[in-house]
Amino acid sequence: MADGIQVKQLNAWFGATQIIRDIDLAIAPVSITAIIGPSGCGKSTFVRCLNRMHEVVPGARVSGTVLLDSEDLYGPGADPVQIRRRVGMVFQKPNPFPTMSVFDNVAAGLRLTMRGRSQGSKAELRAKVEAALRSAGLWDEVADRLGEPGAGLSGGQQQRLCIARSLAVNPEVILMDEPCSALDPIATLKIEELIDQLKRRVTIVIVTHNMQQAARVADRTAFMLDGRLIEVGATQEIFTTPGDPRTEEYVTGKFG
Amino acid sequence: MSSAWREHADSGGSPAPPAGRSAPGGLSQGRAHFQQQLQRLEAHALGGLDLILEQLDRVLEALSHQDVELAQMVIADDDRVDGRYLEVHQGILSLLALQAPVAGDLRLVAALLHMIKHIERMGDQCVNIAKMIPLSGHEPPVRREVLEALARMGACARSEVTQAKAAFAGRAVDLAEDLVRQDREINRLNREIFRMAIEIGDDPDTREWAMHMILVARALERIGDNAVDIGEQVAFVVTGLFREFSDSSHPSDTGLARSPGSE
Repeated sequence: MADGIQVKQLNAWFGATQIIRDIDLAIAPVSITAIIGPSGCGKSTFVRCLNRMHEVVPGARVSGTVLLDSEDLYGPGADPVQIRRRVGMVFQKPNPFPTMSVFDNVAAGLRLTMRGRSQGSKAELRAKVEAALRSAGLWDEVADRLGEPGAGLSGGQQQRLCIARSLAVNPEVILMDEPCSALDPIATLKIEELIDQLKRRVTIVIVTHNMQQAARVADRTAFMLDGRLIEVGATQEIFTTPGDPRTEEYVTGKFG
Repeated sequence: MSSAWREHADSGGSPAPPAGRSAPGGLSQGRAHFQQQLQRLEAHALGGLDLILEQLDRVLEALSHQDVELAQMVIADDDRVDGRYLEVHQGILSLLALQAPVAGDLRLVAALLHMIKHIERMGDQCVNIAKMIPLSGHEPPVRREVLEALARMGACARSEVTQAKAAFAGRAVDLAEDLVRQDREINRLNREIFRMAIEIGDDPDTREWAMHMILVARALERIGDNAVDIGEQVAFVVTGLFREFSDSSHPSDTGLARSPGSE
């Protein structure tokens, strides 16, 4: 992860409609970058280009370069499945596998990657699940209900379960698409604290409508408008002395 | 509490601050309300400078005519200035707590907090002058040239306060920077009065009066400094950079610096 993520001349379309236009952005490793911008500006599409999730929609298309630690995610021979293991994603609405237990939700990704290895790895699997749940700040709350359905947890717990599921396979990057918009303030606070802890080991790109959340958690903030990257800078700069008048107008609420 | 400054907001008679740039999507309702609150708060803070002008005019009048009663009124009316400080301070706290202003709005709120503190200090300097007036008795051994120099200082201080207000209301950095030029004249007169007092002669009563006049000059000089400080806030609101217009500890420095804590 020495080089983080380098996005060069990224363009993306849904059919004939261009969503992302000529984005260049460098994301430092083990940092938190917030993407802000009005609805429909392309910020969700942008992060979905970072782990090749955009192209799963029929008619969707991407051009440009996304380098993850110098490896082109859109280069020939790049394996989307492998990429999505390295670049995890957490969505707006918590989406645990509804029929699976808490344990199996976290173990699901691990079982795929550990498949074919010796059965002696059962203890190893258990240790990895526990480590992921601890990292997600959920272990103490679910340690005695690992066998219960993941869908039985509260919304905030489900979201942290999804983060644990991402963390279990030891990704280099986690993309978060409005991870707190369906949560109450206390659950939001827990996720934000978790994000702050995770940034020591993983690169985080978070899309948020909540500008105070971007201000609280992000090292750098990028402002998008109409599919373009208008401005990126230290979060403190963006919220005190933005360079572009359009950024100023958006963060001060003069449009949007 | 918060309604107090709204009621007074229009009495300041200051021009409305420049309207925000027109935005692609138009003002959203919630933020439009916030912008109105912010504009009212600014008008109320700028109105504090009008209170200072009243206090300054009366204390200079009291000084030139040795009017002890008028000086007493100036002291009593400092409560109005202090009240204005508290109202604006409370309004700023409310805006910070309830509206979480950012970017240009945040810079304006921070600058208002500085400005109202400078206004409060200017009010105190008017009180300091007023308190000197009764100390000399009804027929003090005045020297015309000293009183004339003080009157010129007073006129300069008044002009600086007026200009600081206009610079802030109009976000006029050049007008704000020009305050430094005006302030040099006040500083020069301050030194001149000091020299006059030293050379005022042997009569003990006259020397005591001259000492008091040195303190008056000092208070006027400080009012000028506060006006310059308000000018520095104008530059901060507009550019996002804080710099001292004149820094006596680094006279050759241009004073250009990034705001503290920024990267």
